[in-house]
Amino acid sequence: MALENFHCLRCNHKYKAEFSKKEWPRELTCPKCKSNSVRWLKKRAAKGAGKKDS
Amino acid sequence: MMDVSRHPNIELITYAQVENIAGFIGNFTATIRKKTKYVDEKECTACGDCVKVCPVLVPDEFQQGFSSRRAIYIPFPQAVPSSYLIDMDNCLGTNPIACGKCKPACEKKCIDYDSRDEIITIDVGAVVVATGLKPYDPRPLDEYGYTRYENVITSIEFERLNAAGGPTQGHFIRPSDRKEPGSVGFIQCVGSRSKVRGHGYCSNICCMNTIKDSLLLQEHYPGIETSVFYLDIRAFGKGFEELYRKSREQGTKYIRGLPGEIREHHETNNLVLTVENTTTGKIELHEFDMIVLSVGVEPDKDSDKIKSMLSLSRTPDGFFLESHPRLKPVEVPTRGVFMAGFAEGPKDIKDSVCQAGAAASKVSNLLGAGKVRIEAVTSSIDEDLCTMCGRCVRVCPYNAITKSNKKANILPGIIEAACAGCGACGVECDYGAITMRHFTDAQYYSQVEAVLADKPGEKIVVFACNWCSYAGGDLAGTSRMSYPSSPHLIRTMCSARVNMDFVKHALKLGAPIVVVSGCHFSDCHYIDAVKNTQKRVEKLWDELEDLGIRPERVQLEWISAAEGAKFARVMKELELLRKQVTPKEIEETKRILIEAEKKKRGKKAAKKTVST
Ligand SMILES: [Zn+2]
Repeated sequence: MALENFHCLRCNHKYKAEFSKKEWPRELTCPKCKSNSVRWLKKRAAKGAGKKDS
Repeated sequence: MMDVSRHPNIELITYAQVENIAGFIGNFTATIRKKTKYVDEKECTACGDCVKVCPVLVPDEFQQGFSSRRAIYIPFPQAVPSSYLIDMDNCLGTNPIACGKCKPACEKKCIDYDSRDEIITIDVGAVVVATGLKPYDPRPLDEYGYTRYENVITSIEFERLNAAGGPTQGHFIRPSDRKEPGSVGFIQCVGSRSKVRGHGYCSNICCMNTIKDSLLLQEHYPGIETSVFYLDIRAFGKGFEELYRKSREQGTKYIRGLPGEIREHHETNNLVLTVENTTTGKIELHEFDMIVLSVGVEPDKDSDKIKSMLSLSRTPDGFFLESHPRLKPVEVPTRGVFMAGFAEGPKDIKDSVCQAGAAASKVSNLLGAGKVRIEAVTSSIDEDLCTMCGRCVRVCPYNAITKSNKKANILPGIIEAACAGCGACGVECDYGAITMRHFTDAQYYSQVEAVLADKPGEKIVVFACNWCSYAGGDLAGTSRMSYPSSPHLIRTMCSARVNMDFVKHALKLGAPIVVVSGCHFSDCHYIDAVKNTQKRVEKLWDELEDLGIRPERVQLEWISAAEGAKFARVMKELELLRKQVTPKEIEETKRILIEAEKKKRGKKAAKKTVST
C-alpha cells in the first residue's frame, strides 16, 4: 500500500489516499463531492517511453 | 442424500475437488480431482473393524472437537456413500508402512495404501454453484473470551452438544465440569451487522436459530434460565413471529443490547457479562453457567477459485452476484451457470431449498430444450481486418473468444452462445475488425452527430449503460425528479462498449461536456467489463491533458438502476460544469482535435507508403 495522489475532476478536490496498484482498476469516489470522476495522478513515463502500455 | 445416491440419473462424486471448468453453455468440461480414500467405497460395508485397530486419535471435526476420531473414519454418520477413508495427514504413514494395522483387519480387503488421486473429466451442459457457507470464527472478538473460557461456545458447537448423535448423546452439558447448566445466555450478531467486528451484512439465520435453541432448552430442561442479548430480532418468515412469541412465553428473556465484555469466575467457571440494556439505558451485569455466541456466516473460502473458473462476480460482501436481484435470482451472468443456497447470500433452509429447486428446473429446461435462444447482440470478427493481436481475447469477461495464433495463422473466433454482448472486445480492437451487431460504431457516430446537430454548446452527451445508468435515468424520470434538459443520453449495453473515439468525436463536434456512465463495479452486468471503461477513460484524460484540453470535459460516473436521485444530482452538477465551458474553449478543442486527427492520419499514410 502506498499513498497516491487523486484529483476530482468534478469539484477539483485534490487528496492523497492509500492505494494498492494491484487493486487497479477499481471504483473511485471523491470524498468531498462523491463524484466518480476521480483521476489517479500516477507518475507517468516520459513521452514515448511508455508506448508499450496499451 | 440417500435418494440422490440411488437416483439413476445422478452420479454423486464425493471427496472430490473441481480443478477446472472450461467451455460455455451446453458445452462445459469439468476437470475433477477425485481424492483417494485408500478404501474401496464400493466394497466397504462400514463394519468398523478397521477403526478398532487404528491407534491414532485426532479431534473429530464434525463434532466440533468435543470428541475424537481415528485416522481411518467416516466423516459424519449420514455420509453417502457410507464408507471409510484414511486421513493421510494423520495416519502414521504408508510409505514405508509405519503401522498398517487396518489393512489386515479388513475382511473385505478394501484398503489399498497405493491408491492415488484420480483426475476425471466430465462433459456437462450446465453448472450449479452451491458452495455453501463457513461459520464466522469469533476468536478476533476477544471481549467474548471464546477459547479462553471453556463455557463460551458457538451456536454450531451448541448444535453438536444437543444432537442425539453428538458427543454427549444429546445431553446438554457445559464443557468445564460436564454438568447440566442452570442458565444459558445467547449473544446475537456475533460477526454480523458490523463492518469492524466481522461482516456488515445480516447473516439471516441466527435470530431464528437462537429462538429455536431457546425453545429446545426450555422443553428439555424445564426451569433452565435462558436470556438472549440482541440488537433486534429479525423474525420475518412464515410462522417465525409465533415461534419468537412462544420462546418469550416459555420464559426466555430478551434483553436489547450486546455485551461489551465477558468475565469468568475463577472458582465456578461461571460467566459474568456486562451489557448496556438499551431499553432501560442502564448498565447491567448478568451471570450465566454457559454462553452461546450466535455466530454469523461467511462465503466459503473456496469461492475465489470458483469465481475465476466460471467468470462470476461478487457483491461487496463476498457472495456471488445474481444476474438480476429480483427477476433472475438463481442465474449468474455466465450463461449455463446457476447458483443455489449460501453461495448467493445468507438464507435459511427453506429459501435454500426453494433456490435449489429453481436452479434444478432452470437446468432441466435448458438441457431438455437442447438448444438456447441468445440475444442477437453479439460480436463478429472480420477475418480480413484481424491481425491476430489477441487483445480482444484478453478483455472478454466471458472467455467467449477463442485464442488466436499468429504463427499457425489461427484467427480468434467468437463463441456466440457465450458472448453476452458487452462490446468490450470491439472497443479494444485498433483495427476495426470487430463489429457489435445492433450497436455498431457507425450507429454511435450517427447518434452523437444527431445530438450535436443543433446548438451543440448547450448539450451534454451522456453515454449510459442499458442496465444501470440508463435505468437510473428512467427512475429519476418516473419518480418525477427534476434535472436540467441539457444531458442527452446515448444508450450502450455496457459502458465498456464506449469507444473513446466516440467521446472525442463528440468534443470535436462542439460538446462542452461528455459523460461516460455505467454500473457500479460491484454490479456490472457483464462480470467486470466495467473495469475496461475506467482504464480507457483514465487513458483519455491523460491524452486530453497532453493535447492541452481540460480532462474535466470528460466525466465518469457509476449510477445504478436504483439511484434515480443520484442520476438527477449528477445531471445538475454536470450542467454547472457545462456552463463553465466557454464557446472559445469549445472552438479551441475542436481545432486541437481536428489537428491531432490530421497528424494521426498523416502518420498512418506515411507508414503505409513505407511498407509498400
Ligand atoms: Zn469531488
